Amino acid sequence: MATDALRAQVAAKWQESFARLNQNEPGIVGLLNFSRAWNIARESIRPRGLNEPDPSTRYDKSTFQASFELLNKCRRLPMLLESFLEDMRREFPVIREEVERYTLEYERTSNTSFILDLVFRLLEWYKRWLPMQELGATLHSAFVLSFQTHLFSALTPTFVRGFKELCASTLPSTDPELDGPVPNVEMWQAFETIGLLDRYENIIASVGYEHIEAHVVTTCTGQWSEPMLGQLRKWMTDKVVPWMLLMYARNATTADDARAMLQNVGSRFDFHMAKTLCDLRTKEIFDIIIDFPDSSGALQDLKECLHRVDQRASLVHTLRKSNRKRLLHPGADTRLILTQYVATIKCLRLIDPPGVLLFKVADPIRRYLRYRPDTIRCIVSNLVGDDDSGDSLVDESEPIQALQQTELEDYTDPNWEPEPVDAGPDFRANKPSDVISTLVSIYDSKDLFVKELQVLLAQRLLAITDDNTEKVEKERRNIEILKIRFGEAALQVCEVMLKDMTDSKRIDGHVQSQKASVIHPTIISKIFWPMLEATGIIMPGQFRTFQEEYTKEFSAFKPDKKLRWLPHLGTVHLELHLEDRTVKVDVPPLEAAFIELFSQQDIWTMDALIAQVGSSVDRTAALKALLTWVDLGVLKEQTENTFKLLEVAETVATGAREPRGVTTSAVELPSAPSVQQQQAEQMRVYWKFIEGMLTNLGSLSIDRIQTMLKLAPGYDQTVEQLGIFMEAARHEELVVVRDGMWKLTPK
Amino acid sequence: MKVEVKHWHAVAQWRWDTGVSSDDTNKGDDDEGDVCGICRVPYEGCCPACKVPGDDCPLIWGECSHVFHMHCLLKWIGTAASKQQCPMDRRPWGE
Repeated sequence: MATDALRAQVAAKWQESFARLNQNEPGIVGLLNFSRAWNIARESIRPRGLNEPDPSTRYDKSTFQASFELLNKCRRLPMLLESFLEDMRREFPVIREEVERYTLEYERTSNTSFILDLVFRLLEWYKRWLPMQELGATLHSAFVLSFQTHLFSALTPTFVRGFKELCASTLPSTDPELDGPVPNVEMWQAFETIGLLDRYENIIASVGYEHIEAHVVTTCTGQWSEPMLGQLRKWMTDKVVPWMLLMYARNATTADDARAMLQNVGSRFDFHMAKTLCDLRTKEIFDIIIDFPDSSGALQDLKECLHRVDQRASLVHTLRKSNRKRLLHPGADTRLILTQYVATIKCLRLIDPPGVLLFKVADPIRRYLRYRPDTIRCIVSNLVGDDDSGDSLVDESEPIQALQQTELEDYTDPNWEPEPVDAGPDFRANKPSDVISTLVSIYDSKDLFVKELQVLLAQRLLAITDDNTEKVEKERRNIEILKIRFGEAALQVCEVMLKDMTDSKRIDGHVQSQKASVIHPTIISKIFWPMLEATGIIMPGQFRTFQEEYTKEFSAFKPDKKLRWLPHLGTVHLELHLEDRTVKVDVPPLEAAFIELFSQQDIWTMDALIAQVGSSVDRTAALKALLTWVDLGVLKEQTENTFKLLEVAETVATGAREPRGVTTSAVELPSAPSVQQQQAEQMRVYWKFIEGMLTNLGSLSIDRIQTMLKLAPGYDQTVEQLGIFMEAARHEELVVVRDGMWKLTPK
Repeated sequence: MKVEVKHWHAVAQWRWDTGVSSDDTNKGDDDEGDVCGICRVPYEGCCPACKVPGDDCPLIWGECSHVFHMHCLLKWIGTAASKQQCPMDRRPWGE
């Protein structure tokens, strides 16, 4: 039961509230006034249907104001707000229903105009429900918040999709000929008003990004000759910026204002464009390099983009991957790899002058090239311009300079710069050196190149058949140029070879003047020429006579010297007088020797022929020589390995085949040894040590051998490598092994 | 059939006639040849001071049958320690 005190307290409260509402009016007039004002106010802000009449038509503006003032005075406005929001919640399903209807329609037709209609419809609702300005900011913001909350909860993912599409449709077309759609300012304002812009900013931005991506990809893919970045920036300014203005600078009043507003978002868009272009170029980089120098525009772009976007790592990764996939495999020609490598060098130097990218990309290529046996030969033949393809690895314009050694960094240089941040620990800041230096530096020493050069020069010099001083001069010029690169001393050998050529000519001139001969030898200083492995052909018949006569004359001219023929080299120009025809050919000496033998006797077996020219000729070479004559229709294979001279041409044979050009003997010289061969060669030196050891100490374990070899200068093989070598020696029956102890094979 | 040789571009190498190997000219495997007893470079090479072999760096034949690069021997003879002797057998050097 309530006590008196409680009762009194309730009564007091009641009185107080009543007094506040009644406004000290007599009786309950105040109360009545309040209730009228409440009704008017509530009615005026009630969320109503679109077709319902506006409240302002029913009441005077001053009436509203009076009502609100009264409510304010009674401190009942918060209650009013609450009830208003409650009303809104109750009414909102109407809007939700509309949203659903329109999105459904959109889903059915995929026509964005439904979304646009929906937005305008929502705007209408919004405006309809929006309380009058006079009612104060609190009410207004409370309404906006509540409206948006309800609205956003009603919007489905389908709407979002439609909205995105709608935004995309407002973008300028990628076709530069067409003007973009007329900017629909109203639409953007509607978006703004009902809060879609803020809510879906990400989506709008992504629409922009996607648009930029699409544009970049369509306009720039495969367009490498010109830098595209400038063009793209212009496109951004012309087309995208106006679009961006609509939303990002919607409140701007002046141009400066707009610029300030756009700065942030604009740089984001610019970044995105650069990134897209960068991604595209990165993807295309391998082909860009192939096309170099026609693709210098793309490289320029890439350079600028890389400044803006840090994608260097991804560029390196992509290029390494495509190199591995497309370049460094057995199917690729060494020349091709070299060409691509050189192009890579040039391209990456353009993009990144310090060479960090290049270093990272080049490393696998260089390692791969080192294991190709014909790399050196390719490089050297390119150096001397002995290439069928014609396009030289080296620019003609590039100044010829000495090979560069890696220098220590000069820290007193005032322009010294530290290595770039992404340089690896083993990065060597090689100054932009010329291409040849870089290629030569694939190998540890240039000796290999000099050796190869020597071999190549020998081939070329020996191939000069007629007295062609011009060709010799050309070689001399080549060597002079190469001297600048490799140094005078390294090419001394080549110098001697060239001198042999001129000396031979002089000597021949003298000898011919004493006693004319058909033989015109090139007399070489053997030690300075690469190994021309001697197959001791003994030239038969008149050839031998020629040789002997010439030797005699030579000895008369140079009494302290002797000539020693290398009969398997050179070419012979022959005329064969047969019964019905004359055959004129240039053939290698072995062929000449054989046909000379046929002039003594019509039928020979191959073995007899080989015996006649000294037994050192192998059967394949002999067969090849004989087949040359068969091809020319001079010989015929009667039975296997028995050949017969055709004094009278066989009609069928001559009619059917054109005497095809005989390959003049291209002297095949061994090329410079590959890395493995070199290692084997190195090991051979140590074999002497091992042999000595085993002779003196009897049998040794492999570990003992290794320990002792370590005392030898320059020995750097592992015990495993030694093991392999010893195993090889065992196969050659040089050593025997028992219980892990090695000893020499007893003689 | 008659084979007529019009032109023969042959290849030969020269060797010094050191007298020693004169009878085995045709011995194919005598590849390296002898070396100068002073510089240990083959006769057909050149002495360390020269760059071009042959007539520019000739040999010298001693009475004692020893053969050297001329430049090598002259340099040796030029030193006081040589006492004008052949470095191989210490006999007085004479050509």
